[in-house]
Amino acid sequence: MEQGAQKKAVPSLARATGSMAIATMVSRLTGFFWKLMLGWIVGFGVIQDSFTIANTLPNIIFELLLGGVLASIVVPLLVRSHDDPDGGQTYINRLLTVGMTGLAIATVIAVALAPVFTRIYMDGSTGKANPELATAFAYLLLPEILFYGLFALLSAILQAKHVFGPTAWAPVVNNLVVMATLLAYTIVPGELSLNPVRMGDAKLLVLGIGVTLGIVVQAVILLPALKRIGFKYKWTWGFDARLKEFGGLALWILGYVLISQVGMVVTQRVLSRGDAGGVSIYAQAWLLFQLPYGVIGVSLLTAILPRMSRAAADGDTQKVVDDLSTGSRLSAVMLVPISAILTVSGVAVGIALFRAGATDLSQATRLGTALAFSAFGLLPYALVMLQLRVFYAMKDARTPTLIMLVMTVVKIPLLYMCDAVVEPGQVVIGVLLVNSLTFVVGAVLGQMWLWVRLGNLHSKKIITVIAKSVLAGLAGIGAAWLATRLLMPGQIDSMLRAWIVLIVQSLIGGVVMVGVLMALKVPELKPATSRITRLVRRG
Amino acid sequence: MTTRRTEYPTGEDAAGRGAGPGFLVPGGVIGDGRYRLVAQFGVDQRMNAHFWRAQDSYLRRDVALTLLAGDPGDAAAVAAARRTLERAAHATTLNHPGKARVLDVLSQGSGIGAGEGLIGIIVADWVRGTDLIDLVAEYPVPSAIAASLLEPLAAAAEAAHHTGLVLGLDHPQRIRVTPQGTLFLAFLGAPAEASLHDDVSGLGAILYLLLTGRWPLPGGPEGVPAAPLGPDGHVVAPRALYSYIPQELSEVALRCLSGDSIGGIRTSAGLIRVLERAKYIDDETHQLQAISDDDDYEDDGTVWTTRRPSNDRATRRKLAVGVTALAVATVGVLAWLGMQLISFFGDTEPGAGGPTIVATAPGGNPQNGPPPPQPGEPIQAAGVRVYNVKGTADNPRRATFAVDGDLKTAWKTDAYAQPFPALKPGIGIMASFAEPVPFAEVIIDSPSDGTVIEIRTAPTERPKLDETKVIGRATLQAGQTKLQLDSAEPTQHVLIWITTLAEGNVSELTEIRFLRASDN
Repeated sequence: MEQGAQKKAVPSLARATGSMAIATMVSRLTGFFWKLMLGWIVGFGVIQDSFTIANTLPNIIFELLLGGVLASIVVPLLVRSHDDPDGGQTYINRLLTVGMTGLAIATVIAVALAPVFTRIYMDGSTGKANPELATAFAYLLLPEILFYGLFALLSAILQAKHVFGPTAWAPVVNNLVVMATLLAYTIVPGELSLNPVRMGDAKLLVLGIGVTLGIVVQAVILLPALKRIGFKYKWTWGFDARLKEFGGLALWILGYVLISQVGMVVTQRVLSRGDAGGVSIYAQAWLLFQLPYGVIGVSLLTAILPRMSRAAADGDTQKVVDDLSTGSRLSAVMLVPISAILTVSGVAVGIALFRAGATDLSQATRLGTALAFSAFGLLPYALVMLQLRVFYAMKDARTPTLIMLVMTVVKIPLLYMCDAVVEPGQVVIGVLLVNSLTFVVGAVLGQMWLWVRLGNLHSKKIITVIAKSVLAGLAGIGAAWLATRLLMPGQIDSMLRAWIVLIVQSLIGGVVMVGVLMALKVPELKPATSRITRLVRRG
Repeated sequence: MTTRRTEYPTGEDAAGRGAGPGFLVPGGVIGDGRYRLVAQFGVDQRMNAHFWRAQDSYLRRDVALTLLAGDPGDAAAVAAARRTLERAAHATTLNHPGKARVLDVLSQGSGIGAGEGLIGIIVADWVRGTDLIDLVAEYPVPSAIAASLLEPLAAAAEAAHHTGLVLGLDHPQRIRVTPQGTLFLAFLGAPAEASLHDDVSGLGAILYLLLTGRWPLPGGPEGVPAAPLGPDGHVVAPRALYSYIPQELSEVALRCLSGDSIGGIRTSAGLIRVLERAKYIDDETHQLQAISDDDDYEDDGTVWTTRRPSNDRATRRKLAVGVTALAVATVGVLAWLGMQLISFFGDTEPGAGGPTIVATAPGGNPQNGPPPPQPGEPIQAAGVRVYNVKGTADNPRRATFAVDGDLKTAWKTDAYAQPFPALKPGIGIMASFAEPVPFAEVIIDSPSDGTVIEIRTAPTERPKLDETKVIGRATLQAGQTKLQLDSAEPTQHVLIWITTLAEGNVSELTEIRFLRASDN
């Protein structure tokens, strides 16, 4: 679901970009921080598992109902409706009226079906998960759907009017509310009774209502901004005929979301069969996994992506191929070293971030191990994301859906194999491993189909750079491992020690890897390093 | 494949105000407010000409518009547009069923307002029909039908050429198919530099498109696959793609295309003669097969012209499928190896504790759970009963003996003929408490060495077995066994569940004590 949340309209005003970047960064950091707090305060166990699943439900349902449709249809039409005689007022009013009424009905139905949803996403048959608790959370969290929708619609309206600030900062406010909620959770007396689950438990209510309140605030905070641009809401019922035009495209995007949800359901069921805490470890490790791509990958590719999309829209195959190749090679040089560092010091990362409060050493270690086992998937993940953009730019929504289908078809048996082969406690590590492996399949598949459609993709050049990066990565892993072996042998058992190990390993590994890359004369190193230095200087 | 087209009802909703670049959207109004755009039918990128169906709001009828977009300040573009408009104006003198009737020609200052971003509009009659590209999108047209479709268009070209008029046939989106099954030129306005011969090679290209579904000239529209190129850099013969195509048609298409070179056809008259004959050829239409993969074709022939001709899309496709299958297989093997590695790492974690203290998380691995809660005071159960899911309960009235604090009394299971789960999945004692309590330990005194016990929490006093949750598991040893529970989550009902009986398929529980988690 994290992928869905990243869909943000690219700001068109140069002036807005700077503050937007800060807002996005702050929102990412605060978002990450409250996840850390959740780990510290609630711990990795049945409670966080149940909360995590219940909290993704509204996101999933919203995404299915409106997410894809919004990005691909409503926003373009919003821009177009500016040329209406009334400047788009009627269109917006109609959109809000119909959209919110639909979502309100959907929310009511979803809340009624909460037990069904939690039983789809959780397999309680081994007694390791607690669907009742997840259901209780879901009753409190599912109303978020309505406010996700309101937020999405309002920010789309604002962005169409080139107002970017409030929509960028609203998620930060949400994160702050959630942080306050977590603090309240620690203060409130009583305990969460797990069997039987009691809706009246103070902690349950605080966590559930507080997190929902965050989303409510996130949406409501946009209303003043809307007033400032002179918008007046009026109940307007009806259906805009222009919406029909996009039906086909949206269907494939919806298919993409649906298929990815099938994979998600199996993943969560296998995790909840495995061991208590599996679901939460998976969620946190996945968040950590995406972080390098989110920070470095995106900033690196923002320069390339719009150019590439434009070339693809113009049908300029040669330019698309050139940009795709450059993007792939830059990603390789940037992300493979990070994968290497995560592989060697995954455990240290897990302990450094989570060994505090309610999280004990073994849980933090497992999270770290899971990260280490899946770190190799970083580059395939980035490549899949890059290829998706190319397909969408070529107005092909079908191929990405088919690629997702193949990935899911590969993933499901592997997940069940994981369930059968791996010890229950280690299932989460296996699941993340499978996750990364399916991205490998996706990246190969995407590259092959782009090759079929576009012709020569300079794949040899890309593979050479990847091979060189992997070589450098291996050297870095070796050096970092050896250094910690010699300098500080023994188990990592505290947060402080983990931080020291992490820093030492990153420094040694990083230096060795850059050295090897330079020795191998990888030309892509230069733009990558200069971009980082620029980023650092700006930050 | 059907080319996506935007078609709108032209109600009040779609009303547009127009003006400014990027205004070419359905509902937009151009030509000093006279024409309202309805749907786009194509674009000729080479001359930046956009083909639209529009509504004439004065005369309330549909028209076909060829919009020449461009910057009025660009002298070269304006000159080219003027030439195109002049040619279209000449075309008003010619009436032929193979081409649409030109109604009007608008240029900047006469019919087009400033700031519309247009430097010329050609207005023609709108004739109902379908797109040529849609016709061939699903599968190529049988040879005889192709010939009869093309003939009226070739005749129109012939008639035009007699008067020295160039039609501009070298773009497939200009051409449409009438309900009567003939081709006609729907969007007029030949490119400034087009010659009579370009019309002939355009006809050849259209024939090629009808026969094969591919466009052989450069600058074809998006969504129409380009014709494959042979080793000599020319397009391959239609017959090389579909062997059922008659030699004569295949050849005439190529000869029209090759034009100036030796053997090329330079006038449409030559083409018409061949088409006349071809109409009556009964080719083996039953051999027609849909192009299985037409959807993924895109005009990229240019990228591959320097490559070996064998390296075409079909081969690539096969290779792609092969490589993908290989990748999937590799990933499967890697996943298995990775999981072995994970299990290996898992095994190296320290095992369970001392001889009598059996600390158990559900995974059977003490490192897996959250920190075990510290045991506090013992707590007395409010009531106990035998928990049985199948058959009759074992000694139900003696259940209290297991919690009476007396080591001389005990609760005993029946003696079974076969081990569980032959007759029952298991048997157990359900202990209920006055209020939900967080438990840390359960201590069991039993003489039955080898009995396997699970501690489960239960939502009610009489739950179904699958409603209960395992929070500890141990194999009892003769004497006292402490079971450390892996979580201190409060519960009101605790089930002591025997899954494996001791020797003789009977087990005896002398005493069960519950310790609550301490509050720190």
